[in-house]
Amino acid sequence: MRVLVVYCHPCEESFNASVRNAALEALATAGYETRLVDLYASGFEPVLTADQRRRYHTPGDNERGIEEHLAHLRWCEALIFVYPTWWYGPPAMLKGWLDRVWIPHATFGMPERNKPITRVLTNIRTIGAISTLGSPRWWWWIMGAPGRRTLLTGLSVLCAPRCRTFWLGLHQMDQSSDGERAAYLQKVRGKLASLT
Amino acid sequence: MRVLVLHAHPNPESYNAALFRLVVGGLRAGGHEVDACDLHAEDFQPVLSRAERVGYHAIPANRSPVEAYVKRLEAAEALVLVYPVWNFGFPAILKGFLDRVFLPGVSFRIVDGLVRPNLQHISRLVVVTTYGGPRWRAFLVGDPPRRFATRVLRALIKPAGKMRYLAHYDMNRSTDASRSAFIGEVKAAVARL
Repeated sequence: MRVLVVYCHPCEESFNASVRNAALEALATAGYETRLVDLYASGFEPVLTADQRRRYHTPGDNERGIEEHLAHLRWCEALIFVYPTWWYGPPAMLKGWLDRVWIPHATFGMPERNKPITRVLTNIRTIGAISTLGSPRWWWWIMGAPGRRTLLTGLSVLCAPRCRTFWLGLHQMDQSSDGERAAYLQKVRGKLASLT
Repeated sequence: MRVLVLHAHPNPESYNAALFRLVVGGLRAGGHEVDACDLHAEDFQPVLSRAERVGYHAIPANRSPVEAYVKRLEAAEALVLVYPVWNFGFPAILKGFLDRVFLPGVSFRIVDGLVRPNLQHISRLVVVTTYGGPRWRAFLVGDPPRRFATRVLRALIKPAGKMRYLAHYDMNRSTDASRSAFIGEVKAAVARL
């Protein structure tokens, strides 16, 4: 199994960094080939510019500047996100990675009259989101879990037809105890030890 | 009414930018005091930095990196968002406005560990947006940007405040007729604000 981990947090001392480390360790122990994209550390530019927007629909030309990210997407069989949920969704940095990298032709076929969008990245058969949230679980559901839908549902319809998704959320992060956080890390390790 | 209009499309020649100009022009013609904030034109930086994350909960020092935007938000009695839905969410530049400007002590407060809304000065919320795909497809995904606006943003403003969500779905297969019909809908909503 080839696994791409996309990580997004500005602070190296954060709990999210510990989650990333636990995830990478578990993947290595399981013998998976792993690549890491660290959006903050690599200084990713999340804003789709006017120039990029103008060539957004031009096959080939729209891949300029993001070749490396597209190569990762074409390589991986599992795509795992590790990030904090801010305002019910991924941080702007990670949202911008979707805006800029998940482009037409390279990652999905544009819909034509009476024909829906087509899948391109059928090599990706698992998508997982591992995220910390400030809100309680019940409130997250009342609000409609928007970030989970954007990342898991929104992307899985562009990947393999039977693409699996999983979500590991640690709620009420700000009130969590050491024990709860340790248990959560254990849960992350367990999940990533046996990806399907 | 003082209205803050937030716009997030990089291309001035886009349909979305035309909607932004239409909204701003319509509101001004209606006698409103409009703060037209084109995030791309203002080169807004959407990435919450390490220093901002570390100082996130320090009220009121947390507002200093984005003081001018906080003041504009606090001055608003109505908020209008004009943006395209990309990948079932806000464009990063608009998402970053939430990450960086919708701070504790600004758009919400934390009381006994629970989040309380803090934008009660805003009594009208209008969303004007475009989706590439059809409504059924957005529905299947759960339409996260609609949920976010009608639930999360709605919960932050004045409890009896009014909200309108205006969306042109299926832009990829839109026609002159569908685009003009939507412009009519937006004009009417702006006139009624």
